[in-house]
Amino acid sequence: MSTAMTFGQKQFIPTPPDKGSFPLDHEGICKKTMVRYMKCLINNNSNNSLCRDEAKEYLACRMENNLMAKEDWNNLGFQENKEER
Amino acid sequence: MKNKYIVTMNRVLLMNRCCYSVIRYNFVVNHQILIPKKPLQNVIIRSAHDQKEKIRSTLNYMIALGVMTVGLSYAAVPLYRIFCQAYSYGGTTGQIEANQAVSNMKAIKDRPIKVRFNADTASSMQWNFKPQQPDITVLPGETALAFYTAVNPTDKAVTGISTYNVIPFEAGQYFNKIQCFCFEEQQLNPHEQVDMPVFFYIDPEYIEDPKMEFIDEIVLSYTFFEAKEGMKLPVPSYVKQ
Repeated sequence: MSTAMTFGQKQFIPTPPDKGSFPLDHEGICKKTMVRYMKCLINNNSNNSLCRDEAKEYLACRMENNLMAKEDWNNLGFQENKEER
Repeated sequence: MKNKYIVTMNRVLLMNRCCYSVIRYNFVVNHQILIPKKPLQNVIIRSAHDQKEKIRSTLNYMIALGVMTVGLSYAAVPLYRIFCQAYSYGGTTGQIEANQAVSNMKAIKDRPIKVRFNADTASSMQWNFKPQQPDITVLPGETALAFYTAVNPTDKAVTGISTYNVIPFEAGQYFNKIQCFCFEEQQLNPHEQVDMPVFFYIDPEYIEDPKMEFIDEIVLSYTFFEAKEGMKLPVPSYVKQ
């Protein structure tokens, strides 16, 4: 990545994620919700805005099975009141 | 004319020599040339002590100025960092409460951005690593979920560690990851397949950047390396091991 050419060019500095790293889902507990999310994406031409409910389900599954720290939905960007959308 | 010039120069020279002798030998040399030709009545003739004091105080001021300059140049480094963090100058992110920022964020509907996913492994890494979706269309200010899959086809448990890159370079500062799988060692058992999610959003300030006006596609690229015992990877210093 750092060759002689890249000297003097701006360097990309990766930043750590805000809430750290996802623990790996070795047993595949949340695989069903993941597949549902992927199906939704395929059906909607990879449009994220239409698949947010499925994403919320996947994250809820993770939280319930101790694969993710429990967070308020607002802090994850899922506003509760529908008027926001 | 020239005569006057020579006289003045001589006078200046002698004054310097006088200062020197005052400091070193603590006495005043009263040379004929130094006494003004027309002494005024209310001219105060300084004593040797006063002259010495004045020179010494000037010297003190100069030394203090020098020390202050050196000290300022050392202090400038952390001060600048604090300033940058407080005002987010030049793209440095401060210790802003991430939760607050995310919960107050509103999605901007008229600027959809396509995020394409790329997956790589180091040549010695035997995992099969690929994204589950080739791309996703996301709005700035909206959180999005994406998946990568990794398979360990070998008969041994392999530990990997990943890093990421965002192209174009200028878009990288707007790409915020809430949670992902990078920078920490992830172990895969033999013949195991696992899904790795990335939860991210693009900062709404993206639309206000003139450089981003024509950029509607961002590529997020993850690379997995194998973590061996004693191998030192270029992991950023802030990552806790």
